[in-house]
Amino acid sequence: MLSRVADSLYWMSRYLERAEHTARLVDVELQLWLDQSPETGAGRWRFLLEGLHAPGAKGAVDAAKLMNALVFSRTNASSIVSCIATARENLRHVREQCSSEMWEQLNRLYLDVMQTNPDEAWMLKSHGFFRAVQEGAHLFQGITDATMSHGEGWQYIQLGRYVERTDTLASLMEAHFKRNAQPADQVVESAEYLEWVALLRSCLAFEAYCKAYTAEIRPLRVAEFLILTPEFPHSVRFSVDRINAALHVIGDLTERREKSPTRIAGRLRAQLSFSQIEEIMGQGPHSYLENVRSECAAIHSAIHEIYFDYPIESEMAS
Amino acid sequence: MTATAQPSRIRVQPSFVRYQYETAYDEMFSAPGVPREHYQALHRTLLGMPQEELLKRQQAADLTFLHEGITFTVYGSKEGTEKIFPNDLVPRIIPSIEWAKIEKGLTQRLTALNMFLRDIYHEGRILSEGLIPRELVYSCKHFRREMRGLNVPRDTYVSICGTDLVRLPDGSFAVLEDNLRVPSGVSYMLANRKVLKRVFPTMFRDYGVWPVDHYPQALLATLRSLTPENCQYRQDPTTILLTPGVSNSAYFEHTFLAQQMGIELVEGRDLLVHDNVVYMRTTAGLRRVDVIYRRVDDDFLDPLCFRPDSILGVPGLFNAYRAGNVTLANAIGTGVADDKAVYAYVPEIIKFYLNEEAILPNVPTFLMTNGKHRNHVLQNLEKMVVKAVGESGGYGMLIGPHSTAQQREEFRARVLAEPRNYIAQPTLSLSCAPCLIDGEVESRHIDLRPYILMGEKVTLVPGGLTRVALRKGSLVVNSSQGGGSKDTWVLREGNGEDRVAKITSFERKAG
Amino acid sequence: MAYSVRHITRFRYEPAVRESVMEVRLQPRTDMRQRCLSFSLDVTPRANIMVYRDFFGNAVHHFDIPGQHEVVEVAAQAIVEVLPPTPSLATYACDWEELDERVAEGDYWEMLLPSHFARPTELLEKLRAELKLRRQGNPLELLQELNTELYESFEYAPNTTKVDSPIDDALEARRGVCQDFAHIMIALVRQLKIPCRYVSGYLYHEDKVKDRSPAGATHAWVEAYLGEMGWVAFDPTNNLPGCERHIRVAVGRDYADVPPTRGVYKGEAASELSVLVSVAPIDAPEPEELPPVMVIRSKPLNSASSLALDHQQQQQQQQ
Repeated sequence: MLSRVADSLYWMSRYLERAEHTARLVDVELQLWLDQSPETGAGRWRFLLEGLHAPGAKGAVDAAKLMNALVFSRTNASSIVSCIATARENLRHVREQCSSEMWEQLNRLYLDVMQTNPDEAWMLKSHGFFRAVQEGAHLFQGITDATMSHGEGWQYIQLGRYVERTDTLASLMEAHFKRNAQPADQVVESAEYLEWVALLRSCLAFEAYCKAYTAEIRPLRVAEFLILTPEFPHSVRFSVDRINAALHVIGDLTERREKSPTRIAGRLRAQLSFSQIEEIMGQGPHSYLENVRSECAAIHSAIHEIYFDYPIESEMAS
Repeated sequence: MTATAQPSRIRVQPSFVRYQYETAYDEMFSAPGVPREHYQALHRTLLGMPQEELLKRQQAADLTFLHEGITFTVYGSKEGTEKIFPNDLVPRIIPSIEWAKIEKGLTQRLTALNMFLRDIYHEGRILSEGLIPRELVYSCKHFRREMRGLNVPRDTYVSICGTDLVRLPDGSFAVLEDNLRVPSGVSYMLANRKVLKRVFPTMFRDYGVWPVDHYPQALLATLRSLTPENCQYRQDPTTILLTPGVSNSAYFEHTFLAQQMGIELVEGRDLLVHDNVVYMRTTAGLRRVDVIYRRVDDDFLDPLCFRPDSILGVPGLFNAYRAGNVTLANAIGTGVADDKAVYAYVPEIIKFYLNEEAILPNVPTFLMTNGKHRNHVLQNLEKMVVKAVGESGGYGMLIGPHSTAQQREEFRARVLAEPRNYIAQPTLSLSCAPCLIDGEVESRHIDLRPYILMGEKVTLVPGGLTRVALRKGSLVVNSSQGGGSKDTWVLREGNGEDRVAKITSFERKAG
Repeated sequence: MAYSVRHITRFRYEPAVRESVMEVRLQPRTDMRQRCLSFSLDVTPRANIMVYRDFFGNAVHHFDIPGQHEVVEVAAQAIVEVLPPTPSLATYACDWEELDERVAEGDYWEMLLPSHFARPTELLEKLRAELKLRRQGNPLELLQELNTELYESFEYAPNTTKVDSPIDDALEARRGVCQDFAHIMIALVRQLKIPCRYVSGYLYHEDKVKDRSPAGATHAWVEAYLGEMGWVAFDPTNNLPGCERHIRVAVGRDYADVPPTRGVYKGEAASELSVLVSVAPIDAPEPEELPPVMVIRSKPLNSASSLALDHQQQQQQQQ
């Protein structure tokens, strides 16, 4: 597979994951916003920005403006619309590599979001929009799995999705734990309850969490669920497992198994599978998650250096 | 039966009321209201189909094009650079006997043009015998001195060709121009067919139409038959399609063909040349490339050899080509044979190399380098079509009857300043065919671009792209200038009438 | 007369670049008037050197350096024997009619049609009127006169024009370097319907003769086709006929066909080009001091778009 094509598929997938993630977060926040007083509401917007690792706005935040920046702005490369446009642009460059159903779906999603007109009234009925973005992304994922051969190209799509997911999950939790310093093993009170539910909802995890631990929310359990559960698709552990699997297949297909991305990802995976949540909470989830993010960044660079943009002379010698 | 189940709905059949009969050859009618034999079934179908149904089908077809991204890029327009290539639902039908002649004529023409290219880049017999002025060839901007003495596989310079044919008022076909560099549009031919088969399945089957869907396989076989001799593994040469990139007007076609052939679609930046061998950068390391179906112009292929400012090309590619380590299809320098001034000599070229008369005639052409021709043209500009020799796509053209006095003066000055750069042809009335315009059938001018492949053998996919000048009265069919296209049906045998007799009404979905 | 020629070209990039691909025309020609007895080419960093003959019969060496590098050095060394010119050139001098006949018989259009640098312009037309240049006398004498007239009408001034300057720059300022002199003469001679071509090479500078073009550099002059006499050389920069001191490396329609080095690389870098040329009779002792090195610096090209990452072209100025 052409390096450029792999690169585009990888980035397409990362951007789409990012668009979906942002849509989920903003949607959840908007629902919360309706429940809250204007003052608390303003504070929440800042949390949202932190959770997205977006450049933070100091002082008062205008909800409409912020919404526009996060959702529609073309100058903000990480806004939902920008992400979908970039994802589409990446796929457009490698259209012959995907199924026409995939292209049609992403193109339709793009045309839909481009047509949306963000006026005043839009914010209140925006739920439908965010649902459409999430569903559009899920549909794309389903179509991808159903119509594209699960070869090397598909693996880069997996890789992009889960590298992005690991990173965004870790950021979101990092921001959350920073401002919600409740005792780890106590049931959270009603004032903070909404915050924790919002976190779970932002990771599509509320229902799954309830099944595992009942609706009793304890920070320790939330952390365990979102970081260490191997079965839940929006957990760090799950995502890193997928990264590993994809890198192994790619390593075999390209005969580069011994190379650095596989090694770094393996290390991170081992770390996650042997970690105890008590330890993590004991040393502070912040530093643990920070480490996850930096390993994730290292995996990204290694993929780039081994598969996408390697020095030619090293290939000539072999 | 839905037709009677909904008596309250008003049905309006499309009429031919707005249909104009012109002096040009009419593809459908031999006389006003009298369809030619092979068009009778189609005529009946159209008359029997409610207007709203036709509109619905046209909309469905348009949506297919949009969703599949069958688009082209218009240069020079700021927003909406991606547009759907308008397609028309009414097919154009060519009886088998007419096609047989086209097939023979185009094979003859391309064979001779390949011999011409081989000759001018080697011995130059046709030049030393004075049949074509040397000056004409050497001053052609697509003449590539670098190709002199260089041998190409099978002596085939042009392996992928799209020749534009027009039908003259007497019903005969003539060649308007040859496209021997990077002809495009074949994907629209395939897309039109795909859509039409969905829209008129029964009529299509009953007409007995030659399929065109095997074009990608035929193209791949042609490319592989041109594998360089230096290729170590001739059984499985690495064949790729080189595109200028996503902003190119024909990018959709590049992705489409690459996908259909199952080959890599690469850009210049994916390739590199080391020790005269071309490699592509893959995730598994560098991989050697043997055959390149390039959709990049000569000028941009290699910044070392041609335009140094090209960022689309591959530095050193020409050296690898010269060394015989890679095949480029089409070869470099084929543009000299589709230069519009050289075009005027094609009948003589056919005679010279094949000792045959041209089966398909040229359109009369005046060379502006010839003083007598030039005076005649300049005195009759309002009747002439003047074309810049090195341009294509309908750019750099004056259409006399539709021009203003100012435009004519402009062209007069241009011709006088650079006579070698222009030719003129009498304004042709391209043939007309029925097209669906806002639910009504109207007549529009059309041409025909069949695609010819030449490798180990010659392959013509029956039909080609029928281009339509969608603007009323317009003679310009280029997509960049408001043209569209329609499906072209070449009938397997006879004229189709006997086989379609059983179609009595319009096609309708069951239930 | 036999010469030893050294021609060293060094490109230095800051920061390092990669994937350099380069073509050089440095090997002196072997034909009726001269023989290249030996030629060697060394490239640093090490690269496989390949060679082909271009459509004008010039030897072209080319190579590529895939890895990162800050310097490319190309060192050419040749021993060339130049034969003395035919003694009684003038006896073969033809008249116009005979010349036209010969030109019509052969394949000379390449050297008659305008080319990239040698093309008619308004300023050239002005010069032609000023020199009252038209067909008269016999072709040889006319061109000899033209050679002298150009020498007198133009000042020799290094660094006034660039390697890719159109002739109008030199025509406007009435000064230029050898490349401009050659291009102007070619354009004028072709207008007389005499085939005329560009020659790149070296001029051996004797102590006793004062040439305008400097030692330690490449040189350029022209050759016109004059029937039975064949291709006759003129050096308008120095007001010289072709002589035993002219060493021919490559011929073409103009400079664009035969730059001594041409290359492309990837990366955005400032570059510095230095050139060293020395020409000495083969029996002369090695000079103790090498001639001064010519240095040309250029800034990195601004990439027009994010795509335009690669590419830069290096050519060297001739004098």
